[in-house]
Amino acid sequence: MDDVAVGYSRRVVLPRVTLHVPRGSFTGLLGSNGSGKSTLLKTIIGVTPPLSGKVQFAPCAGRDPVLGYVPQREALDSIFLLSSLEVALMGCSGRVAAGRFFAREDKSFARQCLELAGAGDLSGRRFSELSGGQKQRVLIARALAAKPDLLILDEPTAGIDAAASQAIMELLSRIHREQKLTILMVNHDLAVMKRCVEEVIWLRNGEASQGRVEAMLTRDKLEEMLNLHFS
Amino acid sequence: METLLEILSPDFLLRNSVYVSLLVGMTCPLVGVFLVLRRLVFMGVALPQVSSCGIAAAFALHTWHIIPHVEERSENLLAFAGSTVLTLAVILFFAVMERRGRGSVEGRVGAAYALAGAWSILLLVKNPFGEHGLLDRMKGEVIAVANSDLVLTAGTFGVVVVALFLFQKEFMLVSFDRDMAVSLKKNVLGWDALLFVLIGLTISMSVLSVGPLVTFGFLLLPALTAHLLANTMRQFAILASAIGSVAAVVGFYIAYRWDLPVGPTDVALLGLLYGAALVVKKLFLERTSAK
Repeated sequence: MDDVAVGYSRRVVLPRVTLHVPRGSFTGLLGSNGSGKSTLLKTIIGVTPPLSGKVQFAPCAGRDPVLGYVPQREALDSIFLLSSLEVALMGCSGRVAAGRFFAREDKSFARQCLELAGAGDLSGRRFSELSGGQKQRVLIARALAAKPDLLILDEPTAGIDAAASQAIMELLSRIHREQKLTILMVNHDLAVMKRCVEEVIWLRNGEASQGRVEAMLTRDKLEEMLNLHFS
Repeated sequence: METLLEILSPDFLLRNSVYVSLLVGMTCPLVGVFLVLRRLVFMGVALPQVSSCGIAAAFALHTWHIIPHVEERSENLLAFAGSTVLTLAVILFFAVMERRGRGSVEGRVGAAYALAGAWSILLLVKNPFGEHGLLDRMKGEVIAVANSDLVLTAGTFGVVVVALFLFQKEFMLVSFDRDMAVSLKKNVLGWDALLFVLIGLTISMSVLSVGPLVTFGFLLLPALTAHLLANTMRQFAILASAIGSVAAVVGFYIAYRWDLPVGPTDVALLGLLYGAALVVKKLFLERTSAK
């Protein structure tokens, strides 16, 4: 993204964003509440078109990269009577033509993704009845079922207990390490960021600062970004 | 039993009415499933009223010679056209306003309901034709259904059911997680538009056959009842359609046996089934799942 304005209809949230997510990196997106993190993610995936400028993706194997998106789980309505397997299968939708049904291979692949995300035993359970951590695993499995080139996660550890949160982050780190998958993740937890990500994008006052995690999460930088003074 | 066999017999004088009731009972709940899932229940109330207004408008324009004269047997097509055009126009308006994020959805739906109801009456009282056949049509008196009307209803509902079946994957994805559908490069607007066209067609055809009140009843009550009892999406859809079908036939039987109006009898029966499902859910299913 180079000098892109992000926002909704007439409301500009981020007037000039320039950022680059390196291929194969694990990038964390930081910022205070209301700083525009989720809006920026929605612009990247195409839900909210940029007000000016363009989001550009480098081609992967000569085609546009496939995005795997993990939304905030509260955004999904519990009225749907979907099993975890059916939710994970949705990830395969991008490869199955309209009017065609999921093949046996798709179902088998969705099961593999659930296994990989540590949710193999949840495949028959109703998605809406799972705990926060379990839902997050299923949603990560769904994103993996899309066979993504870029995995985008919106606060995957928000509102879940410490143990589940750590397990989710270990899962993401393992996927990143083993599959060399590019990951862009919104997260509030600085400790998690320091431990897991390689690159940090920090949104503040409508602008994005970017750098390696070692440079972005130093004491001086944190004081500057958070307007705090550590004694 | 004798009466039931008489109703189901191919020689029954009102057999087309039974078939139309059955078609409405089978198809409306399938569309209603999506209204419930997308939390558009109020739209299910307003759209049948809008559809009625479309019928009244088409006949008014015809009476005032704004629309050219049609043969008596083509009146149903005229009504269907008026109903469909206005319903789809209002759905499009709702969709555009929702996308722009302006005002409240409930406010718009409520206003549409009130305005459509008022205009239906105004157009009817100023239309001499309304004094005769049109009021019965709007009340949903399912008595005399011509073969051509039955074919039109079956054809329209056939298209709707086949489309819902073929594109269930796409409709479910855009309904459950719109953002993910966009990220997978799905044409979300196109799928939404197709779903709403199918909803509009079903409502128009159903209002034409059984009236707005009964359409509303068949759109929502079977789907709400099935949602209480089903465990999966497939069960949800099949159960909703089955409840609608059974209520249509049994409702017709009760109405015929005790000389009651068919439409209100169907809706009252659906209400009883919904109440029974609530009791079953409370007494049995919740206790079982608690154990």
